[in-house]
Formats: sequence, C-alpha cells, structure tokens
Amino acid sequence: MRLQLEPAKPASALRDILHTAALALLLVPGAAKAADTDPTDRIDFTTLLYGEQSRTQIFEPVVRFTHLMSDGQWVSGQLGIDVITGSSPTGALPSGIVQTRTSASGRTITSPAGQIPMAPFKDRRVSLDGQWQRPWGRLVSSTLGGHFSREKDYQSFGVDGKFSTDLMHRLLNITIGGGVSRDSVFPVGGTPAGLSAGTIIHTGSNAKNVSNVLLGASRILSRVWMVSVNGTRTFESGYLTEPYKLITVENRVTGAPVSSLTDKRPSTRDRSSVLLSSVYHLTDDVVYTSYRYYWDTWNVRSHTIDLKYRRVLDADTYVEPLLRYYQQSSASFYTVGLIQGAPLPEYGTSDYRLGKLRTITVGGTFGFRAGDVPGSFTVRGQYMRQAGDGSPPNAIGIQRNFDLSPSISIFSAVVGYTFDY
Amino acid sequence: MIRTARQIGRAMAGLILLLLAGCATVQPWDRDILAEKKMSFNPSPMLQAIDDHIYFSKEASMGGIDAGGGGCGCN
Repeated sequence: MRLQLEPAKPASALRDILHTAALALLLVPGAAKAADTDPTDRIDFTTLLYGEQSRTQIFEPVVRFTHLMSDGQWVSGQLGIDVITGSSPTGALPSGIVQTRTSASGRTITSPAGQIPMAPFKDRRVSLDGQWQRPWGRLVSSTLGGHFSREKDYQSFGVDGKFSTDLMHRLLNITIGGGVSRDSVFPVGGTPAGLSAGTIIHTGSNAKNVSNVLLGASRILSRVWMVSVNGTRTFESGYLTEPYKLITVENRVTGAPVSSLTDKRPSTRDRSSVLLSSVYHLTDDVVYTSYRYYWDTWNVRSHTIDLKYRRVLDADTYVEPLLRYYQQSSASFYTVGLIQGAPLPEYGTSDYRLGKLRTITVGGTFGFRAGDVPGSFTVRGQYMRQAGDGSPPNAIGIQRNFDLSPSISIFSAVVGYTFDY
Repeated sequence: MIRTARQIGRAMAGLILLLLAGCATVQPWDRDILAEKKMSFNPSPMLQAIDDHIYFSKEASMGGIDAGGGGCGCN
C-alpha cells in the first residue's frame, strides 16, 4: 500500500531491457508450445499424509518438473518437503513405575508405568533431486542424477548414474548403475559416546558415506509378460549409530530398569539385495508381482513379497489393490536390554527396527481423470501393521509381563496429480 | 554369510543366464501391449519413491529396483 502512494520513478533503460527480456522468456516458449501438438513438459504433484497411531505424523508435498526434448533426452527436477512431528520409541524398556528422563534438547520426558518410553520430536526435511536421461543411439541410454537433502540433524549430498542397453532384438535389457552419497550426522545436543550414559564426545558433525552398485536384467517373455532380476550392493561406512536411541540396563533378577546407555552400532555395513519382478497383462488388467531377498553384514535377513493388481475400468480409470508382506530377522547386536553388572558388548541397540519384525501392508490406488480438467489424478490409501517380538525369550523378571514391541498401526494417503503440457 | 552371498550370487547369475537363453521371441509388431505405460516394472515412480522412503524409515532393509544413495536420517 505504501508503494502505491509513492510517486512513480522514471524507468531506467536497463530496467526496460530487463523487463522486455523477462517478457520474452515468458512468452516465447508459450508461443512455441502453442504450435506444438505433442506435450513436452510434465508437472507431477504428490502429497503424502502419514500417521502412526499415537506416534509419528508426516506431511510431505512433492513437486516434480520434467522437460522432454525432441531428441529423446529428458531432464527433471524435484522438490520435496517433509514436516514430521510426534514421538518415537527410545528403545528403553518399560517399568512398573513412572520413568522420567531428560532428552537431548534438555526436555523432561515422562513415560507412564508399563508403557514403552517414547521421545517427542519435530523435524523438517527439504530435498532436491535432479535427473538427466540421454539416449545414445537406438539401443543405449544413460541416466545421471543428483540429490541434496537437509534436516535438523542430517544432511545428504549424492550423485548416481546408470547405463541401459537393449540386446537380442530388444527382448533383453541390461542395466548397470551406481551412486555415492556423502552424508553428515550432527545430533542435537552433540554426539554421545556409544554405550555410555550419554557422555557427549563432540558437538560437530559425523561423516557417513554410502556407495552402491546395481546390476539388472529385464526380459520380454511373451506379448503380455515381462520379468526382471535386479541385484544391488550398498556399502555404508562412518557414523551409522542412532544417537537418540537408548538401551536399558536392567536388574538381573527383577528385570527392573536401573539405568540406560546409548546405542552403538558398527561403523560399516554392507547390504545386498536381489529383486525378482514380473509384469503380466491379462485381457485388460495387469498383475505386478515381486519378491526381494535382502541380507547385510549386521546379520539382518529379510523377505519381501509385493502384489498389485491393476483393474482397468476404461482408458483413463483404474483401481489397483495392493498387498505387501515383509519379514526380517534381528541384527546380531540387537538386544532388548543389558544386564546390570555383566560385561558390555562391543555393540548394542534396542531399536525395534533392527529387531525381529513383520510388516503387512494392504491398500489400493484409484487413477482417474476429472471431467474436463486436464491431467490425471491418483489417490492411494494404505494401512500398515507392524509387529515385532513382544515377548522375547530372554526377557527377565517384570519384563515378561509387558508387551516389549507393541504392534503399530500406520495409515497413509497419497494424492497425486500429473499434467502434461 | 559369505556362503549365503555366494549362493545368492550363483542363483542370480543362473537367472540372468536363463533370461539370456530364453527362446521366446516376440516380433516388434507384436509389442503393442508391452509398449503401454502400465506395462512397466515401475509405472508410478513417485508413488514408488514415497513407499521406498516409508519402508526405509520403518524397516532394516533397502534396495531393489534402483541404486539410489542414502539421503535420510530417518534410519
């Protein structure tokens, strides 16, 4: 409003030139596009709403812009923001009485008797991703990508790339790829010593390096059936510990919590996975199936089965129910608690995500167009149920009375919109 | 552990050989269905990326269809 009351300033020649140039930048692509018949750009919006019962809530909008070029190249850029609030288990054991502790940020946290201790948290993560794909002749293509993300106590910067080539009259496709990521972990309140009472050893950042390789092959088996096999190896080194997690030291007879120590994990982890996938076309519908076997040097093994069935209702509309089953064994250094007076192990964690775990996911996606509105919409709802080992055989004393890994119900909804222009 | 890795490696090599040796032939003019967008191993990459992020934060495993790096302090 104040600007409106000020006298108009005489326009400078430089401002005129910049103004004209800005208009030209805006109008020329638009005019060129009006003459085109095929869309050359795409915008994708998705928004995730995620809620764990009595635990974490996440709101995550993502926007991606993709530009297609006439020679088959495309580039894309993506911006995502995660807003995370709620609480997560500290890893400590429940007690028959109210437990009180101080968080890394200095807050006093109280856990009710008989319940898993939780720690409240709040964070915001911003991520930027870019990709560039380029064909090299008819049979070969390359993809280069980069990512950057930052949150309160973590930063990641990485690049990745892959080459794909078609063989055997394009019945077979081979992909070779890899990536490196240079991450930094800077815990709120400083980095605690592993398996200590919380002694801060420094307040700077800790390096975490991740590199991975991918080898994949996909094969056309018939007019309606494709299968693929993908293998990945991932090498992690550096600070791999979860600085906010705790391990309870318990009385050797009663199982009552006596104190707690910090989490400590090895500084290297090699992960491997093999994924088998199939896409099969029925009369109109499509069946997607996959199985993944995963193993790592922390001794975690897992099996994942994923099933989706796309029921095509018309050219623009489909429903796609999904079912996923996941099962993992525990890491070799996972423990529900440490016994008072016993020698400390080299590593230890009570993070339930490194314990024995099962996840079942059911849900469905609905894809459609809305009347004359350009673009297409997808709406997906999912329910996840995650269960650990609530009564481990090595629980002692009062811990046998508690559910040490209560099942978690997780609901998520994703709304997506894609617009070509 | 190493023995398991070798077994998996051998199984994967066998599968790739099987894919290479398969005798099925689909002529280019018979690939209309295969060319449809829904006939992709990952027809909804953004939904898949969101799923990968959720599962990475809630489980101990990772890997599969892509060779992405780290990028999250959630696990």
